[in-house]
Amino acid sequence: MNNNVKGIKNMNDTIAIRDPFGKATTGKLGMWLFIIMDGLSFGGLLIGGAALRVAAPSWPNPGEILNIPLTGFNTFLLICTSFTMVMALNSLEKRSQSGLKKYLALTMVGGIVFLGIQVYEYYHFFMDGFIPETSIYAAVFYSTTCFHGLHVLSGVIYIACVLYAANQGRYTADDTDHIEILGLFWHFVDLIWIFVFTVIYLI
Amino acid sequence: MDNDQKRTYLYNAMWLTILTIMELGINHLTTEKSIQVLLLLAFAITKMILVATIYMHLRYETKMLRRILFIPIPAAILFGWALIYDLPFRWAI
Repeated sequence: MNNNVKGIKNMNDTIAIRDPFGKATTGKLGMWLFIIMDGLSFGGLLIGGAALRVAAPSWPNPGEILNIPLTGFNTFLLICTSFTMVMALNSLEKRSQSGLKKYLALTMVGGIVFLGIQVYEYYHFFMDGFIPETSIYAAVFYSTTCFHGLHVLSGVIYIACVLYAANQGRYTADDTDHIEILGLFWHFVDLIWIFVFTVIYLI
Repeated sequence: MDNDQKRTYLYNAMWLTILTIMELGINHLTTEKSIQVLLLLAFAITKMILVATIYMHLRYETKMLRRILFIPIPAAILFGWALIYDLPFRWAI
């Protein structure tokens, strides 16, 4: 019998019921549901920003205001942290506790550096007078990137909590669910940044 | 799921990096803005699919779960359409 099929014996008959979500646990489904809802929140911000852009009489070229090479590096950094996060799960599946801790720590450091660069970017914008009140463009830029930055901050705190539990030896190769759920959240943050970077910084 | 997929994950990271560099290069092309926008969106969607299928392991999930994840897309299109419909009235007051 397939792993996704549960057999129920009722008198002499066997009724096969296919589980629509396969081996996905409740926690994992909960995280997917959260991702759908959070994706809609980002969708609202980005579509709202696009509508304001269409309605605005003029819209500045992002390259003239924003530091695109620096943010390009930040995008590369977030891609690297997605790699280290998935390697943390891979290490746990291979029963390597040290690998799990090492890759989780690297992901956390990557997230902190990403936030540091974002704060540095904001600092220079504020010094140059580019603040949310400046224009609709500035308001769209800050609301979208700040919302994403809060997700990165949440992710860093989440990773710190999981790393603490990993140091206590809480996770084993037989129970990778917590790390998978954390990974889903972190990869979602990366996935959203890919779109935010394109829409806010490049288009 | 294969226990050792390090190579797949590494190749995926490399492709994501290459696509990001190409995105940065698109802005320097002398083509029309609309073509640049289409190219940038195509690259971004490709990168998002790579992250979702390989890093988020979506390719190992059931068809039902994958279909459910596409529910927000029509909702977003409806929201976008409603906003565009509203735009001509927005600045009239």
